[in-house]
Order: sequence, then structure tokens, then C-alpha cells
Amino acid sequence: MRTTRAQRFWVSALGLVVAAIFFFPTYWMLTTALKTPGQVLSPAYDLVPLSVTLVNFASALGKAGFLSFLVNSLVVTLGSVACALAAGLLAAVPLARMRFHGRRGFLLLVLVAQLAPLEALFVPMYLIMRDADLLNSLAGLLLVYVAFTLPFTVWTLRGFVKGIPVELDEAAMVDGCGRWGVFRRITLPLLGPGLVSTSVFSFVTAWNEFLYALVFLRDVDKQTLPVWLSSFKTAFGTDWGGVMAASVVYAIPALVFFVLVRRRLLSGGVSGAVKG
Amino acid sequence: MSGVALAATTALALSGCAGSSGSGGQGGGGPRTLTVWLMNGSAPTALTDALHKEFSDSHPGVTVNYEIQQWNGIQDKLTTALAGNDAPDIIEIGNTQAPKFAAAGVLADLTADTARLSGDQWLESLKASGQWDGKQYAVPFYAANREVLYREDMFEQAGIAAPPTSRQQWLDAIGALRAEFGSDPDFQALYLPGQNWYALLSFIYDEGGDLARQDGTAFTATVDSPQAKAGLEFYGQLVEASGTKAPKDADEQTPEQAGIYGGGKVAMMIGLPWEVATAAKTDPGLTELTSAFPIPSKTAGEPAPVFQGGSNLAVPANSADQDLARDYLALMTSARYQGELAEAGMIPGASTDTSALEADPVNAAMAAAAKKGRSVPATPGWASIEAGQNPLKDMLTAYLTGAKDITAATDDANAALNKAFGG
Amino acid sequence: MATPTTAAPPRDTPGAGRRRPRAALGEPAVPYLMLAPAVVVMLALLAWPAVQVLGISFRKLDLGELVRGEVVWVGFDNYAEILTDPVFWSATARTVVFTAAVVAATVALGLGVGVLMRHLGAVVRTLLQISLVLAWATPIVATTTVFQWMFDQEYGILNKTLVLLGFDSFQGHSWFATGASTLTVIGLLVLWQATPFIGFTLYAGLVTTPRDLYEAAAIDGASPWQAFRAVSWPSLRPMLTLVAFLSVLWDFKVFTQVWAIRQGGPDGSSTTLPVLLYLKGISGSHFGVAAAVAVLMLVVLVAVTWRYLRLLVRSPETEL
Repeated sequence: MRTTRAQRFWVSALGLVVAAIFFFPTYWMLTTALKTPGQVLSPAYDLVPLSVTLVNFASALGKAGFLSFLVNSLVVTLGSVACALAAGLLAAVPLARMRFHGRRGFLLLVLVAQLAPLEALFVPMYLIMRDADLLNSLAGLLLVYVAFTLPFTVWTLRGFVKGIPVELDEAAMVDGCGRWGVFRRITLPLLGPGLVSTSVFSFVTAWNEFLYALVFLRDVDKQTLPVWLSSFKTAFGTDWGGVMAASVVYAIPALVFFVLVRRRLLSGGVSGAVKG
Repeated sequence: MSGVALAATTALALSGCAGSSGSGGQGGGGPRTLTVWLMNGSAPTALTDALHKEFSDSHPGVTVNYEIQQWNGIQDKLTTALAGNDAPDIIEIGNTQAPKFAAAGVLADLTADTARLSGDQWLESLKASGQWDGKQYAVPFYAANREVLYREDMFEQAGIAAPPTSRQQWLDAIGALRAEFGSDPDFQALYLPGQNWYALLSFIYDEGGDLARQDGTAFTATVDSPQAKAGLEFYGQLVEASGTKAPKDADEQTPEQAGIYGGGKVAMMIGLPWEVATAAKTDPGLTELTSAFPIPSKTAGEPAPVFQGGSNLAVPANSADQDLARDYLALMTSARYQGELAEAGMIPGASTDTSALEADPVNAAMAAAAKKGRSVPATPGWASIEAGQNPLKDMLTAYLTGAKDITAATDDANAALNKAFGG
Repeated sequence: MATPTTAAPPRDTPGAGRRRPRAALGEPAVPYLMLAPAVVVMLALLAWPAVQVLGISFRKLDLGELVRGEVVWVGFDNYAEILTDPVFWSATARTVVFTAAVVAATVALGLGVGVLMRHLGAVVRTLLQISLVLAWATPIVATTTVFQWMFDQEYGILNKTLVLLGFDSFQGHSWFATGASTLTVIGLLVLWQATPFIGFTLYAGLVTTPRDLYEAAAIDGASPWQAFRAVSWPSLRPMLTLVAFLSVLWDFKVFTQVWAIRQGGPDGSSTTLPVLLYLKGISGSHFGVAAAVAVLMLVVLVAVTWRYLRLLVRSPETEL
């Protein structure tokens, strides 16, 4: 598409403004983390912080057990993302490309699975996990997160697979690719953006989940970061500076994850696959 | 209605009621484990360390498994843990939540152990919250009540010789402070948000009123009484007189009042002793400059009654080793550890000895009013009120903003409370 | 099928789906094997608990019953309690309006952001994407608090900025004085957190559209708008429908944000159905009542999304 220099300038300017708006609450969280409690709500106009302290970060990172919480969270989150993607992809291809009995029934299951409010499910879920002897284990929590994110993953990936023109598959088949070859050479690269979208979704869901992590995991050395984040609240009030500093630290792995998958899946595959 | 209540006691193989599932329960011999749940920040680490050592020494072969619980989501965690096959042996529950657990029959009856657990010295408000239908299910642990924290330097500058000891003196002090510092637009003589219902309770009690009337296990709200109305009116009078800029539709947590006080433009706030430490995080000098007096009463010379918040200790009915748990409770409510709680700045729940609090004026003011401590109605229905939509908060906001007149505001709150007590 | 005038299109013919060639790509067992892992997880950890919730909604399941493992059937008592409470009906209406507004706003904004990303240079696009991911990934406990601070009546940066810009009436303005205003702030918070996902998904859809098609359109002399209509829109439409539908599900069930801001206040005027579920059920450990509210929520949700659901049920071919 032909665009003039002026057009490109205005589009970039608009992009920057939108980026700034979306960044603002995060910015506010960051500056709050750099403030002393009294500056958090002060009568002064403080769009730019008037002074800066690192006390909150020191106290957040110095809190006992941070590393073990971090490792647990990463294990559960990355594990559930991998499982949800694998199971989701496996299910998405036949749903989009094949005709078989029970397809509609399965789609209905996927759909209905997303209707129920999760807050209401936690008592039966607890009983199921207890009877399966999966309480107090990271594997149990991982399974729960897979269940939470799977319907969405299946559905979205199915949409992406459907979006790939069947002609591409057929052309590749003509070129002598087997079904696996079609999947690897055509489907998978074209699914890149869909995989990014669903994996980031799964990551964020699992990374932020609090209630089930709290209730299902009993031992301190098994707990995850959201539980750690809640430990800033004590009988003597909440250390908000600490919460904000911890939240900044907390958001970093999610950002790193996004940057990693984006590089791998978004920039590389797509154009090449389509053109080649 | 179509309610056919078929009470089937068929168990879902639900729990370790039989007591055989845990590692304990074998009575004598063998290794035993006692699982203790206390809330984050409630008892100082030094106290629990010493306590667990002493307990282990006197109970050879017993391992104390100490698990600190977070405040967020504690209701859900307790609920599921009590239903699980590995229930803790000791739990700490907030005094306003205790009736819910006591009434549900999920706690062990401790009535027979009262004497062992220093029952003669129990704090009245906490004792009441652990009772249900004449039996004691939860024992007092510690409590705290609100007081007026104030800036000594500002009082001195405004020429206030001594802290107020009556409502009238309190209002006079506010007047003097405003006269002295009023030229600063950011100054507030008293920071009082519209929904500090703990303060309101104090005023209502002081007028001779209460939230509800108890009849056995039934409660009837009495917020529409003339006494309650008088308490509400005094709240309005304070807001008016102080010219506070605090929001009328929020409580003292949003925004956190200690942070505002820390900004140095506030002469008084109604709060808990440790809020000074929060304020000092902004301005360490405030620790020196801050003192406290009990919430003044209508009656000159004596403190007003106060709402006491705090914690109770209980033994879950599903605990595998309830005798061991009772031993632990006995140690915890003993003079030594109750004294350490007082030293840590809390009102001990099972000891009348508050002398450790006298050294610090901020703690002393809390202790002075502690004997007149009260708690909210000991009904399971209070748990939902506490969890979220508190009719008293809505009543305060409606009255203070003029959205409702005092009769409508109190009538609505009374109806809402009765509804909550019923369910 | 006797009269030609009523000859139905094939998709309305009962059994049309069954007559299609099965497993066009191979042996009949393959699709089932591929679906198996997903089916097992979803049946065991979503469908089964959901069925149990339905059962629990006919029981009295308070703390005591749960701990002692008692099963006490009460018929429709829980439903009667909820349905006779006027609060339920006002909360339902409120939730539907709130959901509709937030979904419309998120989808519109998400589409804008997605299209914008498509047209941005690499540097600005990366900046935009990072700010979006941060908005998405920041823990809710932090964002709800930050929003409360930004909207604080006395010290919030918003009111201070408005006053600075000359809007003096915002001095000490309370954004939480009415239910509508409170829900607007909550809506903004949800909008801020939900837009990134929709933006990314739609952007992904746009990128998947082969570039060649755009080039072809450009050669044909199409304006950007025409190119968008002709090339992007057809592939975007099903995806938009999908994210709109998913947004309805999520926004309808939003609890944490609504609760954290004002616990459904002031005076219950920002109480949505999930808040009601928490207040009536979870907070007092009345899990039977909570389950009944959950079931009723499901009914409302099905009613709201009925058209879309019917499309799915009626025709397996439809682009969902």
C-alpha cells in the first residue's frame, strides 16, 4: 500500500498517543513504587515523581521466599501454557478441517465450558482434586489452569486454522507433502500469531490466578507469586509501596515471555511462509 | 415454599472425621504433629518461636507445624481446609467471623476447658464473639481498639493544654486548631472519612445504644433507636466542625488515612496505635510528635466505649489431635505469652494485665478504653456484612451527603441489618 | 420437500451434517485421538464440576454441611430465595447493560488498536505492544488500587489534572458517589485490561491475511478503506464475532475488579451478578445459594448470547 510521509507521521503519532494512554496506569504503578507512603496521595501535582526511593523494591525483593515463589509460578505457568497449546492445537486441526461425528457436541462442550463462573466452581473443584489426591501439588494446579485456558485455546486456534485457505494445504499436498508435512510447513507457521495470542492469554491467566493457588496449595514452599503478593497485607495494614514494587517485579516475566514468543513466532514465520 | 428438607446424613466420604487420616491421633507414643495456623503479622515471630520451643520441650515427640496464613481469601481457605482430610489443629479467626464458624458446628466445644485457658481473665468482647448458644467455641487471642491519634506539637501551638476528655472539649480543640492553622488550605484538624463505622459504633455505644438486641441466638437490629440516631448526629457534627476533606463515600482505608496523616497536614485521626508506624514511613519524625487519647465520651472524664477488633483461637472439629491442640491453647493463653502480646502493642485477649502497654502513651490510650470494649452482634450473619456491603457505611454516606434524612438512613440500615441477621 | 417454494437450503435440512463425507482427510479414528486430551481435561475439570454445581444448587450446603459431608436437599428453596429478592433483578439488568457497554467499547477499541498496529512502523509498534502487554499482565490487585488512586477525589491525579486545566468543578469531585459513575470507572479499568487481548487477536488475524492480497488491491487502485473492506474485513469478521462473544462471557463474569473498587457500592448500586453471588453465597459460606446464583447467571448468559449459540447449534458449517 502506498502511504505518504505525512500519513506515516500521523499514524506513528497516533500510535504513540495510544501507547501512552495504555502505559499510563502502569507508569503510575511504577512511580508509586518509587514513592514514600506519604507521597502516594499528596496534594502536590506530581505527574512526574518529586523524589525517588528504592526502599519499596528492596523490601519487596527482600521478602522471604521470593525465589521459590517465582520458580513455582514459572513451572506452573509455563507448564500449563505448553499443555494447553499442545492439547489445543491437537484439537483445533480436526475441528477446523475434518468432518466427524460428535464434532458439534464437542464444540458445544467447549462453549458451555466457558459460561460457568469460576468463583462458583471452586468448591466442587476442591472436592475433585482432594479425591484425586492432587491437592497441595503443583501438577494439580497446572491441570486446573490447563482446564481454564483450554476452551479458549481450542476455539481460537480452530478459528486460525480455518482462516488458512484450504488451497494452500491442497497445493502443498500436490507438491508431495504428507499430512504432517502440511501441518509443519503450512499450518504451523501460519498459526504463529494465533499461537502468540493464545499462549500469552494462557500465560497471563495462569500467572495472575490467586484463589485456586491459595486454596489448593498448602505448603509455603509450593505457593505461587499471587499468594506472595497478598502477603503484603497484614493485620497492621497493607504495605502499598511494597505491593506496587512487587507488582512491577511481577509483571516483568510476563513481558519477557511476550517478547520471546513474539520474536519466535510473529516476525519470523509468517511472511516467509506465505511468500515461499 | 416447596422446600422439602430431606436431611440425609449420607457422607460423601468427605472428611477425616474419624481422625485416622492424619499423622497424629494415635494417642500416646509415636511421632505426632500439631498444625497451627496463625494470620500474617498477628503474633510476633519472637513470640511464636519461643512458644513452639516450650511446647515441643514439654511434649516430646511432637512436631509443631506452623503455617502463616494470608488475609486475602482466608475465608475460602479456612472453609476448604476445615472440610479437608488434613484439617489444621489450631486456627486463628477474626472476632467478627468467629460466630459464623461457631454456629456452623465445625469447631470443637471448649466450654469445659475455660478454666485451663485463663477463662477468668478473658476480654469480654472477644469472649462474646466466640460463644454460640451458651457454649464457648473460640477463645480470645488479642484485640485492639481505636483511639484519637494527635499531633502534640500542633496542640501545643494552638494552645490546647491537655488532651480532650469530653466531647465538648474535643470540639473546642478542633476549633482552636482550625483558628491556628486554618489559613493553610491543606490543613485538616481531624481527618474523618465518611465511612469510619468503627468510630460511629463508639458514638452509638456512648449514647447508650447498640447495633442489635440479642435474644438467645436471635438478633434484632436497633440502629433506628434514638441513641443510635444521636450517635450518627454526633458523627455529622464532627465532620462539620473539623472541615475534613476526607471522602464521604469511603472508609479509612481508601485512601489509607495513615498516609494522609503522614503528609503532615493533619492534626488528628481516629485510628489504631500502629498506624503511627505507617505514617512514620513517610515522615519518621511523626513518631516523636504523635500521641493519643481515648475517644472522648459525652460524660466528661471517662473514655467512650469502643468497638474492639481482634482474633480468636479455635480448634477445628476435624482436628486429628484435639487434646494436643487444647494443651497448645493453654500455653498460648498463659500469662507469659499474653504478656508478650501486650508488649508487642496489642490488648491481650486472655489476660487483664495491660501494664506492658502503659509505657507508650499511644498504647496507653488504647488500653485506657479497652475495658469498655464491645464487639458487633455475635451472629453468623455478620460475616457477610463484614465481607462487603456494610449497611452502616451506606447509612453514614447517605446521611452525611444529605441523600437521606436521618430517619430514612437509619430505617434503611436497620432493615438491611435485620435481613443479614436472618440469612 | 414437496413444493419447490419451500425447498430449504441444505444447511436447514435435518441430518445435512451427517451426510457429509466423514473424515475427508483420513481414517475415522484420527480426529477422536486428536481430541482426546482436550476432551478428558474439559470433562473432568470443567463439565463435571459444573454438573456438581447444578446439584449443589438444590442443596443446603453451608459451612457445617460441607465440613460434615452432609447432603441436605432443599428443592427449589435457593432459587426461590434469589428470585424473590428484588436485588437480583436489578443486578441482572445492571450486569447486562454493563456487559453490553464494556463489550462494545472493548471490541471497537481493540479493532482500532489492531488495525493501528498493522500500519505502524516497527519501533512504534513495539512500544505500543509493550504498553499493551504491561496493561494486560499487571496483577489485578495492583491495577485496581492504582485506579482508585488515580480517581481519588482529593489527591487523585485525574482531578488534579482537570483542575489544572481549568475545570474547577472537579475539585473534590467524587467518582464513586453514584453507581453509574462507579461502574464507569470499573468499565474503564476492564476496558484497559481487556483491550490488549482483543487488539492482539485481531492484529494476528490481520497479519495472517496474506500481504499479496493487499498488494493486489493496491494495484487495483483501492483506497485504504476499500482495501480494508475488501481484504481484511472478510477474514476479520468471524474473528470479531468470536472476540465479541468471548468478551461477553468474560465481562459478564467480571468480579475482582468490581469488588475491589467499591464492593458493589455505594448502597449496592454497582452490584453486578458476580458480586451478588459472592455476597449471598460465598461470603456467608452458603454454597447452595452461590450455586443457584451461578446457575441463574448461566441462564441469563445463555439468553443474552442466544442468537450466537443457535447459529452454532443449528449449523455446523458456520464460521464460528
